[in-house]
Amino acid sequence: MTALLILLCIILVGIVLVQIARVVELTAQIKGEREVMRESSWWNAVLSLGFLVVFLAAVFISSYYYKNELLGYGPHSAASEHGGAIDSMFNVTLFFTGIVFVITHIALFWFAFKYRWREDRQASFISHDDRLEIIWTAVPAVVMTLLVVRGLDAWNTIMADVSENEDYIEIEATGQQFNWIIRYPGPDGKLGARDYRLTTATNQIGQDFRDRKNWDDVIVSQELYLPVNKKVRVRIIAKDVLHNFYLPQFRVKMDAVPGMPTYFVFTPIKTTAEYRNELRKYPEYHQPYDPTDPQGPKRWEKFEYELACAELCGKGHYSMKRIIRVVSQEEFDAWYKQQESYYMSQIRGKDEDPNKGKVLDIDPPASDANAPAKTETTSL
Amino acid sequence: MAEMTKVAVDSLDTLEEKLTREMGYDDHFHEHHHGDKYQSNFLTTYIFSTDHKIIGRQFLITGIFWALMGAMMSLVFRLQLGFPEADLAWLKPVLGKWIQVNDAGIGKLDPEFYYALVTIHGTVLVFFVLTAGLSGTFSNLLIPLQIGARDMASPLLNAFSYWFFFLASVVMFLSLFLSTGPFSGGWTAYPPLSALPQASEGSGAGMTMWIVAMAFFIVSALLGGINYVTTVLNLRTKGMNLWRMPLTIWAFFITAIIGVLSFPVLLSGVLLLMFDRSMGTSFYLSEIVVGGQILDRIGGSPILYQHLFWFLGHPEVYIIILPAMGIVSEVLSVHARKPIFGYRAMVLSILAIAFLSFIVWAHHMFMAGVNPFISNFFVVFTLIIAVPSAVKVFNWISTVYGSNFRFNSASLFALGFVSLFISGGLTGIFLGNSAIDVQLHDTYFVVAHFHIVMGVAAFFGMFAGIYQWFPKMFGRFMNETLGKIHFWGTMIGAYAVFWPMHYTGMAGVPRRYYDGGASFDSFRHFTELNQFITVAAIIVFFLQVVFVVNFFYSIFNGRKMTTKNPWGANTLEWTTPINPGHGNWPGNIPAVQRWAYDYGKGGQEYVPQYVPLREGEHDHGH
Amino acid sequence: MSQIVQREYRSNNIHPLKFALWVGIATIIMMFGAFTSAYLVRRAAGNWYEFRLPDIFWLSTAVIVLSSLTLHASYRAFTRGVERLYKGLLVTTLVLGLLFVVLQYAGWQAMTAMGATFTVNPSSSFIYVISGVHAMHVLGGVTALIVALIHAYALPFKPTPRRRLRFELVVHYWHFVDVLWVYLFVFFLVQSP
Repeated sequence: MTALLILLCIILVGIVLVQIARVVELTAQIKGEREVMRESSWWNAVLSLGFLVVFLAAVFISSYYYKNELLGYGPHSAASEHGGAIDSMFNVTLFFTGIVFVITHIALFWFAFKYRWREDRQASFISHDDRLEIIWTAVPAVVMTLLVVRGLDAWNTIMADVSENEDYIEIEATGQQFNWIIRYPGPDGKLGARDYRLTTATNQIGQDFRDRKNWDDVIVSQELYLPVNKKVRVRIIAKDVLHNFYLPQFRVKMDAVPGMPTYFVFTPIKTTAEYRNELRKYPEYHQPYDPTDPQGPKRWEKFEYELACAELCGKGHYSMKRIIRVVSQEEFDAWYKQQESYYMSQIRGKDEDPNKGKVLDIDPPASDANAPAKTETTSL
Repeated sequence: MAEMTKVAVDSLDTLEEKLTREMGYDDHFHEHHHGDKYQSNFLTTYIFSTDHKIIGRQFLITGIFWALMGAMMSLVFRLQLGFPEADLAWLKPVLGKWIQVNDAGIGKLDPEFYYALVTIHGTVLVFFVLTAGLSGTFSNLLIPLQIGARDMASPLLNAFSYWFFFLASVVMFLSLFLSTGPFSGGWTAYPPLSALPQASEGSGAGMTMWIVAMAFFIVSALLGGINYVTTVLNLRTKGMNLWRMPLTIWAFFITAIIGVLSFPVLLSGVLLLMFDRSMGTSFYLSEIVVGGQILDRIGGSPILYQHLFWFLGHPEVYIIILPAMGIVSEVLSVHARKPIFGYRAMVLSILAIAFLSFIVWAHHMFMAGVNPFISNFFVVFTLIIAVPSAVKVFNWISTVYGSNFRFNSASLFALGFVSLFISGGLTGIFLGNSAIDVQLHDTYFVVAHFHIVMGVAAFFGMFAGIYQWFPKMFGRFMNETLGKIHFWGTMIGAYAVFWPMHYTGMAGVPRRYYDGGASFDSFRHFTELNQFITVAAIIVFFLQVVFVVNFFYSIFNGRKMTTKNPWGANTLEWTTPINPGHGNWPGNIPAVQRWAYDYGKGGQEYVPQYVPLREGEHDHGH
Repeated sequence: MSQIVQREYRSNNIHPLKFALWVGIATIIMMFGAFTSAYLVRRAAGNWYEFRLPDIFWLSTAVIVLSSLTLHASYRAFTRGVERLYKGLLVTTLVLGLLFVVLQYAGWQAMTAMGATFTVNPSSSFIYVISGVHAMHVLGGVTALIVALIHAYALPFKPTPRRRLRFELVVHYWHFVDVLWVYLFVFFLVQSP
């Protein structure tokens, strides 16, 4: 019924518009073409000027209103070491483009207003002006050079891989429809080999359990924890289709490609608690987290770093969320210690275990003292 | 004054006839032309015509159909984004099983179909509307008319070009009714998603039909492009050297060259994708486990497809925007009553943009896992494009400076184009810089950027062209009042739709999220903004309906054209009769004596191209 | 209908249709350029099975080069007005063209027989696809040759400019698919061990 009413309204508005248009055309015939042109010229010139004013005002007011969404301002500042470079690049670019935006818009609409059609005026015959044209080729070229140099400097720093003897932790993110499988290397600090042909319902990422590096690898099914101020190298890969490992607050984004591992290196510099504390300064984060429960926790109290997918991967693309907690090194160590090796907890001793029947050196001490030596264990 | 202008116009008319008789060249048209025997019935005149003017109109009307389809699709997914809680059960009669009605009677859009809508919206707008509908329409209509040719180099291939497009349209349209839905993997059709029917419903029959439609479309674009290039290079009238061509022709010509060189590459890419889909090859596929099933495809690279796709895909955005730029240059100059500022710089910047368009494709792939070192080159080339683009903008603004600017629907849309091109172009400087792209890639910032700079801006160029050349197409004018309502409403409305997306993009909200990011705390505080965008989109849609009504109403009932050259323009199309037949000029084709932009020269309001240079007069085209 | 756009004045000396054919050839070059670049990019990425191209492709290359020569001779005969030679060589060209396609098919069979099947690895898939798409273009040329043959036998022999133009279009296209195959063949040879 409402739909019908709305439809009726639209049709009515349409008819009114067409009638107005026809009436205007008719009066135009009475008034004469010149008179109509004079009026139209005036009205549209004024509208141009009006549009200019309203548009620029809307741009500035809305920018001010949404200033906290701008990169590098207020609550939306980067939580990683390299993120600051991105934010400042953004703001430098915003500065230059902002100037150009305002000047060109004022010129465009002001000229349109000022040089509106008048019967007694003749346009000036200006075909070109070499000096002006050279200036406005050169100035953008110089500005672009500045932006390119700064941008590339930032880019190459951001994308640099870890060097040999750096202190970092490597984790692995595997995208699949429609979630992320996150693997930590365990105590040995190394991720084990994998082969996609070994994938089964329990061995979701095809870990090769003949590789001893896999024996202590941890697959995290809840929140993933990262220590603050420590370099993280994320190995990113996909099982089925393209995904994208996206951490908005850390300014991290990289495609996950089946068959071709990619990586992203970043260092978190703010713990979740610190980030929450920063958000506390902004009134919008004092609104209740759950709008239906005004007395409940505030938005800043419930803030979490989130992992999202940023490459269309099918109908569940929008739902590939994981929570990331950045904590102090001590808290991280404590958490890490509690994590069970996926192999030991889920695979060991089952039919799927390629080492079934063998005793491995990481097995809990067996009651049988004559256990085979570790030389029997296989490793790739 | 009014009388004087009238006299001037009259004398120009007689001058034209005299000059054409004496100095135009005779191509024996009269001797051979005893009435086009094929024009005797409706079917061959209006449907299976080989007349470039009819083919242009066919492209336009098919384009309008797809524009409406695409717009309606966007309304459905905007409703989902703006009002995720709303009951969409009323759409069930149209969308059928794609609206799931729950026990409470609340209808929800199926996510699979949401993605199908997004995909088909992108595909048809980029290819069917802004390529075929824009460059197809105006290249066909204007190239022969403005360079002084009777028709295209091969009218038959030209007709085929339209019919392949029509075939592509039919296949794409039919794919909407598949039980598994149309293709839903994004207009870029990245494998493996597009290659694996197991990964997505739309990647089954929907994708097959998408590929078939695209293959037909590419053939259409190639046949058209081959014709445009040949016609411009071979069939210009006497005196029409390259530096006297109107900027419209330059733009269409360069666009055609870009298309001819880049569409075949897409065809290669899509062909390999087809083999991966149906023959078991692994060009793009490697080490895939989908739905628990281990595929034995090894050694392919999805990145390879992205290279092939964007080698077309990036030039494609210039295929869309260059014709709009050409139209805007012409329309602005005509209605400013002033030469286009820096004609030579305008041509050179088109050439520069066209050249650069081929070496920047990987800027779509900064975050795709390609070697970051290689991205350096693409950043440099990408940001260099800002320079010729800036030159064009400054020249348009300077064209308005010191003019006698006539406000009408065509010139307003041209003005609006410049504003949109500035706004959307500047955000490209953010995205082209790979460091900033880390954060903004695949967010709403990108959506805002390309919708403003190549979506809405190209539409504005198209509207400017339609209002400007409607009289040439149909011998009548469109209603100016409705045209101005259409312009001002769309100008404000389009900004209202796309400007706010910059803010959501900066906040990091990813594009192509069915729930607009509602499941993420980081992204979900834009409820009001999303509602605002959706309401604005609905209003803008109805303004386009006003345009469509105006368009079809004016074809039959618009104010009739009474003079050949209503805008007082210099170009040759306005020397043809009010309703030109096949062959365009009933007598000789006028010869060209000067460039197309002698407006306000030597105290004359305009000096058409067929008027000979006076003693000692300098031709600015050289 | 084409007579109504017939015209004396042109901006340059090349017939528009011939020019259009060349632009069309440029599109085909771009397409194969894309294929061969994709081949190189993919090959550089590793995981690539090497195998030797079957010798039969040498034979097919010789056949298509020969067909170009016979067609060229046929064209010379046409312009000099030697009707029998013109017709005879045209038929020879058609036969050689069809033989080329048959030999390509035999080449694919030989590849499959040696284990380089269509799907085993992109290294062989590429060769099937590229030579297959090329063979489609040759078949297009064969159709054009058949049209030329119909002209030759159904119409009275008269080397008018119009007939000459039509024949030239066929000749140019045929030479192009020939040169294209030679390029592809050399490309494959350089790439394979």
